[in-house]
Amino acid sequence: MTAFMTPPTTPPMPEPALLTNPRTQRRNPLLLVGGTIVALIVATALVSFFWTPFPTILTDTDHLASPPGAGGHLLGTDLYGRDILSWLMVGAQTTLYVGIVAVGIAAVIGTPLGILAGMVRPAWSEFLMRVTDIWLAFPALLMALIFATVFGASITSAMTAIGIASVPSFVRVVRSGTIVVMNADYVLAARVAGRRGPAIAMRHVLPNIAGLVIVQCSVSYAVAILAEAALSYLGLAGGPTTPSWGLMLFQGQAVISGHPLLVIWPGVAIGLAVLGFNLFGDGLRDRYDPRLSGR
Amino acid sequence: MIRIRARLLVSAAAVALVVSACTAGAGLQPSSSSGGQSTESTPSATGGSTGTETSGTSGPSGSEPAPSDGTLTLGLVLEPVSLDFTTQSGAAIPQVLLDNVYETLVNQAQDGTIVPGLAEKWTVSPDGKTYDFTLRSGVTFSDGQPFTADDAVFSINYVKTKWTVNVAGAMKVVASATAVSPTELKVVLSHPDNLWLFKMTTRIGAMMSPKHVNALATEAVGTGPYVFSNWIHGDSITLTRNPHYWGSPALEKTIVFKYFKDPTAMNNALLTGQIQVITTVQIPQALKQFDDKSKYTIVDGTTNGKVMMTMNDGRAPLNDVRVRQAINYALDKEAILKGAWAGYGTVIGSHEVPTDPWYVDLANRYPHDVAKAKQLLAEAGQTHLTLTLALPPVPYAAAAAPIIVSQLAEAGITVKTTDVTFDNRLAKIFAKPYDYDLTIINHVEQYDVTTVFDGTPDYYTQYTNPEVARLEAEGLAGDNEPFIKDFQQVMRILADDAAAAWLWAFPNLMVADANVHGLPQNAIGESLNVFGLYTS
Repeated sequence: MTAFMTPPTTPPMPEPALLTNPRTQRRNPLLLVGGTIVALIVATALVSFFWTPFPTILTDTDHLASPPGAGGHLLGTDLYGRDILSWLMVGAQTTLYVGIVAVGIAAVIGTPLGILAGMVRPAWSEFLMRVTDIWLAFPALLMALIFATVFGASITSAMTAIGIASVPSFVRVVRSGTIVVMNADYVLAARVAGRRGPAIAMRHVLPNIAGLVIVQCSVSYAVAILAEAALSYLGLAGGPTTPSWGLMLFQGQAVISGHPLLVIWPGVAIGLAVLGFNLFGDGLRDRYDPRLSGR
Repeated sequence: MIRIRARLLVSAAAVALVVSACTAGAGLQPSSSSGGQSTESTPSATGGSTGTETSGTSGPSGSEPAPSDGTLTLGLVLEPVSLDFTTQSGAAIPQVLLDNVYETLVNQAQDGTIVPGLAEKWTVSPDGKTYDFTLRSGVTFSDGQPFTADDAVFSINYVKTKWTVNVAGAMKVVASATAVSPTELKVVLSHPDNLWLFKMTTRIGAMMSPKHVNALATEAVGTGPYVFSNWIHGDSITLTRNPHYWGSPALEKTIVFKYFKDPTAMNNALLTGQIQVITTVQIPQALKQFDDKSKYTIVDGTTNGKVMMTMNDGRAPLNDVRVRQAINYALDKEAILKGAWAGYGTVIGSHEVPTDPWYVDLANRYPHDVAKAKQLLAEAGQTHLTLTLALPPVPYAAAAAPIIVSQLAEAGITVKTTDVTFDNRLAKIFAKPYDYDLTIINHVEQYDVTTVFDGTPDYYTQYTNPEVARLEAEGLAGDNEPFIKDFQQVMRILADDAAAAWLWAFPNLMVADANVHGLPQNAIGESLNVFGLYTS
C-alpha cells in the first residue's frame, strides 16, 4: 500500500468537478420532482410514527374489503378489514427502512472496496474486479432466499441479502471515480509530498467521489424498494402483520378480479416511490457526475 | 432404555403426523365417502354388522352414465414425494392412491358407518376382540394375481412390521391375523378397540400384493378401479381405468392429478380450461370469479379438519389455564371465520367437527368478552403479555393471523407473528423442544383427538391431564354407548381447560366446471376418490 502506480494506459480525464452552473441547478426538473416525491414519502413515514387514521393492527371485520369511504376508512379496507391508508402510511416506514438497510450495507462495504480497487496496482485491481464480477453473478433474490432459510424470513434478513448483493455495483462505480481522482494533479502532488494511501483516500478521494456515491445510493434505493416488494410478494420478508406495500400487493393479487383497488393502492405507492428515487438519483447525477458535465 | 426409545418413537411419530397435518392442512382432503355423517352413527362396528353393498362413491343417483374415454384433470396443491405411504407420512399420497388404486377391506359410507369393501361381510365376537371377515372372490390385483386372505394377512402384518409412519401404530392392537381359507380372514385383537375397524378404512387398511412391496415408492399395484399410470414429477400424476376391476368400471378413463403451488395459478388454470376441478379452494375470498352457475359448480361441504390456534400448554405463561381462557374470551371466532375464510366453515369450541359421533356444540363455550379476558389476565398476573404466533406456510394461518392479532391486542395481549416457512423450523415446533407459544394448524385427520390431546405431554400441544388419558383409553375399549359418552366428556374437558383456541371446522370447498359430476360433497376419509367422477 505504499506505492501507488497509476495505470499508464489510463488517459487523462477531466478534473472531477462538483461545480456546475448554479442557474442550471435550479432549473433541474428531475431533481425537483424526484426530491418532492422522496420528501413526501419521508414526511408520510414520519407522520405515521405519531398518527395514522386507524391502528394498522386493527381488523374491522364489519368492513371487509370495503370501498373507499366505508366505515370512515378513507381509502377503504383490505381483505381482513385493515385500513388501507394507515397501511400505506406505515408501509412508507418499511420502504424507507429497507432502503436504509440495503443501501447502507451496500455503501459501507462497496465504497471502501471500490476506493481500494481504484488505488492498488493494476493486477490487484483486476483481481478485485473479477471477484466483484463473480459476486455480481449471484442473483440478489437467490441470496435473499438463502438468507430467509438460514436466518428466518424477516425484512431485515431480506434487506441484508439485497444489500450484500448490491455491493458490486457500488464497487464498480466507486472504482471508476477513484481512478479519475487518482490521476488528478493534486493527488500526484500529495503523493510526491509523501502522503500515504489511507490519507489520500480520506482527504482527496472520498470527498471527490461523494457525489457519485450519493447518486448510486438513490438508484440502489429504488432497486431495494422493488426487491422488498418482490420478496414480500413471495412471502419472504416480514410476516402477514408487518405493513409493507409489497405485502399489500401480495395479499391483494389473489382477489384482483373482485377487489382491484387492493392492488392498485400499493402498486401506485411502489411505482411513485421507485419513480421518485430514480428521478432524484438522475437529478443528482446530472448535477454531480463528472462524466456528464458539459451535457 | 426401551422405555426411552419408545418415547422417542412416539414423539417422532407425532412430528410426522403434525407436519403432515399442517401441510395437508392446506385443506387437501376431499375424500371418498360423501354425504353427511349423522351424529347418532358411530365409527365402531362393535357388536358386528354386515353389509350388502359396496360403499361406492358419491355419484348422482338414478341416471348413472356409461363409462367414457375422456380425461378429467383435477387441480391439487401438495404433490407427493414418493408413492410409498408406508414410509412417507402426509396426506398427499393416500389422497391419490387410496380407494382409487389400493382398496381396503371395509369402507366408510356417506353416513360415517362402516360398509363392505374387499370384505363382503364380517362378524365381531361378543368380547369385541375377534373379527371374522369373508372376502370377495374374483378380485385380482392389477398385475393379474388374485387377491386372497393370504394377501390380507400379509398386508396387516406388513403394517405392523415394516411401516415406519406414525399412523401404523393403530395396527399394534392386532394380536394375530390368519387366513382360514382363501376367502376367510380371522383377526384377533389384544384388547377391544372401538376405532380399529374404522382405522381399517384408512391407509393402513390398504391391501397390497406381497410381490410388489419392494417397489412401493415408484409403482402402485392394488385392486382398485384405477391403475397408476404415469408421474411427471413437479407437474402431475395420471391414473387410468383398471379394465379388470371386480366392480363396475370407473366412468372416466383417465384422471390427471395436477399440482399447483400458487393458488392464483390454479384459479387461472380452471378459468382457462387446463383443469376441470379445483379440489381445494385456498382463498375463499376469490370465489367471486366463479359465481357464474352456468359455468361453474361450487361445492361447500365438510371435512374433518379442525383449524385451531394451538397454545403451548406446557410452557409459561400458557400453562396457566386462566391465560388460555382469557385468550379464548378475547377471540371473536365468528368474526375470524368471516374475515379469514369468508364465512365458509363452522365455528367449533373443542377438538371435534360437527360430523363426529361424539360432537358436543361448544362453539359458545367462550363468548367474545374482552372485559372477562382482561379480568382473567389480571388474576393470572399477566397484564402485559407478549406472545409469539408462529405461522406455517398455509393460507388459512396467514388469513386468520391478522384478525387474531387485532383481537388479542384489544385484550392487552401483544402478539408478534413469525413465518415458519421451512421444515427445520416447523420441526422445532412439532417435536421437542416444542419451541413456540402459539401456532395455527388445521388438524385434518378424522377422530385424531386421541393423538393431538392424549392427556400426556408427549405431543406438541403439551396438554397434560390424566383424566383425559383415562377417559380416552376407557372409551376405546368400552361398549359403544359409554365410548361416545367418554369422548363427549373429553371434548368438554378440553374446552373447559381451553387446551387450545379452536377456530373453525374446515370446509370442503371445491370449484368445478359445471359439466363435472360426482364430486363428493363432504370429505370424510383420506382419499380424493375419483371413482364416481364423470363429465357430461
